[in-house]
Amino acid sequence: MVQIHVKLASEKGGYQEWAMIELQGTLETRNPIPFSGRFIGDLHFTHKDVPILIIGHHILYGKVVTLEKPYGILVKDAEVTDRAPGAGQTSYTIRAVIRKKLLFKTRPKPIIANVPKKV
Amino acid sequence: MEIVNKRTLDEIDSVLEFAKLGRDEIKSVTQSIYFSEQLDSEGIKLLELDTAVLTALENGERVIIRGDKEDSAVLCTESETFEVKLGEVSNALLIVPDMTLGSELTDTLLPSIQYQQVNSVMHTFYELRKMKPRLQKLRSLLEENPYAGQAAEGDVDHQGTKYTFNELLNLVQGSEREIKIALEKMQAIVIDGYWRVLDFDFLVQVMSHLLQLCDENSWLDQGIPIQECLSVLQDIFPRTVIEHVLKNFADKITPATGKDDDEKHMQIDIDYYRLNEDKVCRFFAEQILKHARKFNLSQFLSTWEKSVPDGMKTSVSQLEGIALIDRDSNPEVISYMTVDTLPEEISERFNHLFRIREKWSLPEITPYIKDLTTDKMDVTAMLTKYARASTLNGIKVYNSRKPIS
Repeated sequence: MVQIHVKLASEKGGYQEWAMIELQGTLETRNPIPFSGRFIGDLHFTHKDVPILIIGHHILYGKVVTLEKPYGILVKDAEVTDRAPGAGQTSYTIRAVIRKKLLFKTRPKPIIANVPKKV
Repeated sequence: MEIVNKRTLDEIDSVLEFAKLGRDEIKSVTQSIYFSEQLDSEGIKLLELDTAVLTALENGERVIIRGDKEDSAVLCTESETFEVKLGEVSNALLIVPDMTLGSELTDTLLPSIQYQQVNSVMHTFYELRKMKPRLQKLRSLLEENPYAGQAAEGDVDHQGTKYTFNELLNLVQGSEREIKIALEKMQAIVIDGYWRVLDFDFLVQVMSHLLQLCDENSWLDQGIPIQECLSVLQDIFPRTVIEHVLKNFADKITPATGKDDDEKHMQIDIDYYRLNEDKVCRFFAEQILKHARKFNLSQFLSTWEKSVPDGMKTSVSQLEGIALIDRDSNPEVISYMTVDTLPEEISERFNHLFRIREKWSLPEITPYIKDLTTDKMDVTAMLTKYARASTLNGIKVYNSRKPIS
């Protein structure tokens, strides 16, 4: 039977706390390769900490959601070479944990753009 | 992490203008989000972390995912087992490691920009569902080579594989603690580093020697002095086996004159065991039932009564979980049925039980389903879900919800 060890990152102060945005629908994210490096949008927060995301011609209002169960980000460890203990075993390290997400569920409001006066 | 074409405040402001969003409505820091140059959605996996699992990880416990080609994967902490399932989301999950939530943003006097990167876009994640470990395999592994005494170890029937604890961990989908508990329930024993179950006939031999010794020394009343007992029997049987039998069929007696002050003890503490009437009588019942499987009830009861040691009393309650009594047949019959031969999966278990007998009362069915209870589902809840209740002759009975094939 395959046995995969899972552990928390221990170097450099342990695992990190990361964040996440959940977007309804796919927008332009299904084919990420041509999009490497591309700009997505601006994220603002109101004074009541409501997140607002402006992507292209759409403005999305969202909310901060605390995850019922945090997500662990698992990264596969490099294969151990022959003579070391635990050789041949697969293992994963949890590099980060995500406890909250910004959820954008409401239908994006299109921004009616005038001809830009100046860019 | 170089971002080319960094957005400027001017660009942000013009978008805000089009969006009719005033600067006074928002905090001063804007996070401009980009896809990373090294966007990689295959290199990481998302795993939902149940509190128990995260706690186990934080405590440095061993957490292992185990999978077989046939079985699905399970995740085991040192004491719990979880099913690992792949979940899909229709939404896109953008992982932005350094993104700051509004509540954590320090408002500055002047507008400013933070540049953030999405390093992965995920559409799947792994979720954990707590489950009872799959332990039936454990029993079948140990039954490949039951222990029948040192002399028998060399013979042709005892060349089957023997397993150490680590080997069992590798073959059974369960956590260490759950496997240890199951081994104890099975009355398994470690002999020469291997976990073994005792061959039943061998156990009968050990018991009969023990009982004879007890009879000769009047130990049934006084209690069995363990060291003396071991010194007599260890010539015939390994010490570990005798200790094991005592542990499983007798109770340790706390000396009545026990003093708290250990230093003043000048006498050697003698440990006594008293045979447990219920466990011994049950054992004798099993001996009889195993031979013929089905019996005329009254014949069985009288044979049983006569077989148990003098001074011990039999009672039908001792048969719970090992025998099924049919009071509807004429004459009444009793048959051998133990819970460990029944299907592990809950709906299969109920199917099996209803195939054997159409209607069950609560006391009849409980011994054969209570091993499947969880903290979320007790016997009553199980019956509500998997059976249909009705009343027969004033007694509540349960039958199948669907036709049994």
